[in-house]
Amino acid sequence: MPNYLSNRKPDFTPHKINCGSIMAYQFKGTLKDELAAKHLTKARAIDLLEDMLVIREFEEMIVKLRSGAYAPCAGYDYRGPTHVSIGQEAASVGGCYGIDAPDYITSTHRGHGDSIAKGCVAIRAMSNEELRARVPAFKGKDADLLEAALEDHIYKTAAELFGKEDGYCRGRGGGMHIADFTVGHLGANAIVGGGVPISTGAAMACRYLENDRVVCCFAGDGAYANGIVLESLNWAAMQQFTNALAKDKKFGIPIIFLILNNHYGMTHRTDDEVMGVSSMARRAAGFADNNMHAEVVNGMDVLAVREAVNRAADGCRKGEGPFLIEVNTYRYYGHSLSDPRNEYRTKEEEEAWKVVDPITTFSQQLLDAKVLSKKGLEEVIKRVQDRNARACSRAAKAADPDPADVIKYMYTDTSSVEVPAPHNQVKLVKALPEIKRVDGQLTYRDAIKEAMIQEMLRDNRVFFYGEDVADYGGAFKATKGLLEAFGRRRIFNSPISEAAICSTAVGAAMLGLRPVVELMYMDFALMAGDAISNQAAKWHYMSGARAEIALVIRASVGGGKGYGGQHSQTLESVFAHIPGLYVVYPSTPHDAKGMLKAAIRNNNPVLFVESQLLYGVKGPVSEDDYLIPLGVADVKRVGSDISLVAWGPAVLDALKAADQLMTDHKISAEVVDLRSLVPLDMETVLTSVRKTGKCVVASQAISIGSFTGEIASNIMREAFDDLDAPVIRVGAKDGIAPQALCLEQVFLPTADDIYKAALSIL
Amino acid sequence: MVNAIIMPKLNQSEDDCIIVKWRVKPGDKVKKNEILFEIETEKAVLEVESFYDGTLLKIVVPEGVATPVNATVAWVGEPGEKVPDVAPPPPAAAAPIPAPVAPAATKTQTAAAAPVAAVAVTAPVPFPSAAAPAPARRQAVSPRARALARNSAVSTDSIRGTGPGGRVVEKDVRAYLDSKGYGQLRITPAAKALALREKVDILTVRGTGDSGRIMTGDIERSLRERPRALSKMRQIIAQRLTQSVVTAPHFFVTVPVDMTDLLKFRHVLKTRGAPFSVTDFVLESVALSLVEFPAMNSSTDGKTARWHSAVHLGMATSLEDGLVVPVIRNAQDLSLAELHAAVVALAGKARDGKLLPDEMTGSTFTVSNMGMLNIENFTAIINPGESGILAVSSTVQTPVVRDGRIVVREVMKITLSSDHRLIDGAVAARFVNAIKSKLEDINLWKSLT
Repeated sequence: MPNYLSNRKPDFTPHKINCGSIMAYQFKGTLKDELAAKHLTKARAIDLLEDMLVIREFEEMIVKLRSGAYAPCAGYDYRGPTHVSIGQEAASVGGCYGIDAPDYITSTHRGHGDSIAKGCVAIRAMSNEELRARVPAFKGKDADLLEAALEDHIYKTAAELFGKEDGYCRGRGGGMHIADFTVGHLGANAIVGGGVPISTGAAMACRYLENDRVVCCFAGDGAYANGIVLESLNWAAMQQFTNALAKDKKFGIPIIFLILNNHYGMTHRTDDEVMGVSSMARRAAGFADNNMHAEVVNGMDVLAVREAVNRAADGCRKGEGPFLIEVNTYRYYGHSLSDPRNEYRTKEEEEAWKVVDPITTFSQQLLDAKVLSKKGLEEVIKRVQDRNARACSRAAKAADPDPADVIKYMYTDTSSVEVPAPHNQVKLVKALPEIKRVDGQLTYRDAIKEAMIQEMLRDNRVFFYGEDVADYGGAFKATKGLLEAFGRRRIFNSPISEAAICSTAVGAAMLGLRPVVELMYMDFALMAGDAISNQAAKWHYMSGARAEIALVIRASVGGGKGYGGQHSQTLESVFAHIPGLYVVYPSTPHDAKGMLKAAIRNNNPVLFVESQLLYGVKGPVSEDDYLIPLGVADVKRVGSDISLVAWGPAVLDALKAADQLMTDHKISAEVVDLRSLVPLDMETVLTSVRKTGKCVVASQAISIGSFTGEIASNIMREAFDDLDAPVIRVGAKDGIAPQALCLEQVFLPTADDIYKAALSIL
Repeated sequence: MVNAIIMPKLNQSEDDCIIVKWRVKPGDKVKKNEILFEIETEKAVLEVESFYDGTLLKIVVPEGVATPVNATVAWVGEPGEKVPDVAPPPPAAAAPIPAPVAPAATKTQTAAAAPVAAVAVTAPVPFPSAAAPAPARRQAVSPRARALARNSAVSTDSIRGTGPGGRVVEKDVRAYLDSKGYGQLRITPAAKALALREKVDILTVRGTGDSGRIMTGDIERSLRERPRALSKMRQIIAQRLTQSVVTAPHFFVTVPVDMTDLLKFRHVLKTRGAPFSVTDFVLESVALSLVEFPAMNSSTDGKTARWHSAVHLGMATSLEDGLVVPVIRNAQDLSLAELHAAVVALAGKARDGKLLPDEMTGSTFTVSNMGMLNIENFTAIINPGESGILAVSSTVQTPVVRDGRIVVREVMKITLSSDHRLIDGAVAARFVNAIKSKLEDINLWKSLT
């Protein structure tokens, strides 16, 4: 029985679509008003100023470092990027003070301010015990704890920029990828817009976990032209989260899209050059009937930003998300220090913005409200300067990472061994779908389904989404019946947004969920190139192993069905080239089940490749809860004269070729199923080749740049003296998959191709 | 008596040969040393003679088929004798080499046209007209086969490959080892270890231990006999002197020089504290004579002659393992004392290996003095780029007829080698006598010292 059936009749009644209105600059409050209304305390007001000063001082240091003018780091040669956000401090600080300390943010390549503000807010909210835990080396008085923790925060930030082992990401990420997962900073992102789907996925995880948290997604105006950002806006606004489909879980995605509109994407003008809207806030109207409660605020006024973000966060906590706030602000410097700015904007414009500088104006408010005296203000400035100087000079002298560790932290060797409560308590909505076993055999398709069921029963953190995977059960029916059993909270349809499918999974994984997502055709993985290659694969390393991205991307290869060039590609080699990603491709139902279960429990991002040619293949599959470790090849047939190494459907062809070699020539071929490209079990391959001296490596991929070459090259290096013949590769013709049957038949490699390749070296 | 005619192994590296032409046909009488057939090797087409008198009874291997060496290709005996029933060997290569090479065929046709036609009819060549023969390639050996051979301490040079493209594969090595009785080979572990380390083919080593066991000493003997690379210096010597001998037609002119008076004068000079050597006197005489005979101070490339205005004298100097030729520049301008100083300095540097490249190039004539080595006479090879070299031998007390009486004189033979492309006999004779007369002219030396 289907879960839900649409029943919409045609209706062409003439009417007018009202796009509503978006309010701008409605906040009229002053510091005095805010204090009187008890929206903040005097101490909090000073914190706002102090943290803006910390950011300004820090970024001015970066500017000075480039010309050796920062005295505390005299002689230190800074070599990283210089994307400073000077002028935007009110946006960073107002944003981070608008949400609660345990809430989350993602940031951008211009993200020093966001990162510093998020850390400061979190540290200021910590108890003495938490502070002690954060700075264990500090042995002084409790009264000095906060100061020590703030200095440590600046030290770790500077150390990260300076590429030091003590940096937040052990010097692996640098300023453009700085993250501190312990305070909810899910990472700056050097891919413009890259953080937006991660925020969206994290917010989706907040909704899923019902943890009362919100995510504030900082991203610039330039990013709001990028496809993944637009996909994310649509994703966050999906009606299924809030309408009847959500049943008793009607709750909007708790995300605040905070557009840091500084009017320039690198150097191009987003205002009147590369975009068609007068205000970035209009974007919201295209994605949600409620315009995502969009508004425009004065980004030079820290109180205005804080108030708006705070209001949005409250709304998010009530399930009214997503929210979109355009923060109108300005960066005084260019894209980086190498950008002189005079090619695209006037000095007059810059001067006009400096008149409304967030720090000067807020300092004046503090004086006017008598929160600070002139002397008190000078003391704050001095405190910040001294603290930054101490922290940064220490960072400049800190230890570099050990060059021997250059690729350490690429992968984690951890996996989900035990499911912690309450995630081990799984409630079914309805009975599980029946899986038909005949003589202990299952199809590959059902083996996948059984693995999904077992893992979703084991661990509530496992959830599954992709295109048409819910009611329809997936284009190839591998998940039919799961929606009914587990409900739409754990299985839902996604829009056709492959990039968002994969990138939101990264955000969800950062919050501890274990998403499994499906790409209907592997060809579409190229739509998600950034999500898979730059985000999923890289965050463990770039964060210095502070984050584990436990997710599985199931991708189905369509070759062999006459679907032509864009639905038939075998692309695992492309992704095996991306460090940080596991890539596996089981060939039998038994392996498919055991490896999918292992992939779901693994704490690395796993690209799990399936083939539509294999879904109907039957084989013995135990009902047991068994795992097949990733990175272990399997000898599918023992032989002595030649090794046939293959993966995916090519394994079945290799087995047929082996039969034929025995029948025709009494040649005993050994068939090694690689099963996993990354991690790679070369030892099993080498053991076989050392025995036989001859090897054919086969896959369904075209041979140009194929992983078959990697295997051949490894064999050449490790077993050269054992080779009795050159290693031969078998793959598809080096071209584009054709539609015509007669063409595709010659395009794809066959058992006969492997057979002939074997004979050519025997 | 029926005798097998065998495909000869004419070259160490040859595994297969092709008979490009039979010169005789079955039934023909053959005589010992008569040419039976022509074979093509990697290097040439060669004629193979009979070792026997008799009648060619049967041709086993027809023309055009690559055949392993040592295989039987024909039988010779008395007419009517029965030939052993042996199948022809399998062709060696998958694609036999097609036609006989042209020169041999032409030669044969002119010499014996009729029999050739007969052979062609009776023994049609059973191969397709494939492409031209592939250029000679290094024998391919699979890494696995190579490793097995290496670990067995045998060379793959004589192993026939049966893998794709004739590659030597593992089973070929095993078959080869079996055929050579490798399993029965007796060798001490130490000898085997040494052979492995030094890459000695133990199948080529004769064992001198009990029952022919190969001992360490046997491997060491084999190592001593192994070819060793020439030193860089020897390679240069080899290259330059070969070039000289090949391009410059040498002829030699020898004269005896009476050194009696000069040696006495040398002794006198020595007591005066001026230790001139015979070499100094010879070099000075040569320098003076070269000024008189500019043809001797020239060089040629075979098309042009180049006369040198300055005399740069090369002085062949032997070292531990070779020789160098330091050059005394502008010898014509040097006093005897300066020449002496230059000789001493250059000889010292040569012995110490401190000569700079500039000091070893650009000589226009060379003197090689072996007087200290107790020889009567020798000829030297011209330094390439020069027209002559003077070989100076030992000074020997010799009975000489002087004024009708036999007297004992100190005689030193000098032999001039000349490049006949530039120098004719008369010039050489006058030049060598000019040197001689200077050495014998005691007044000259008195004026020079």
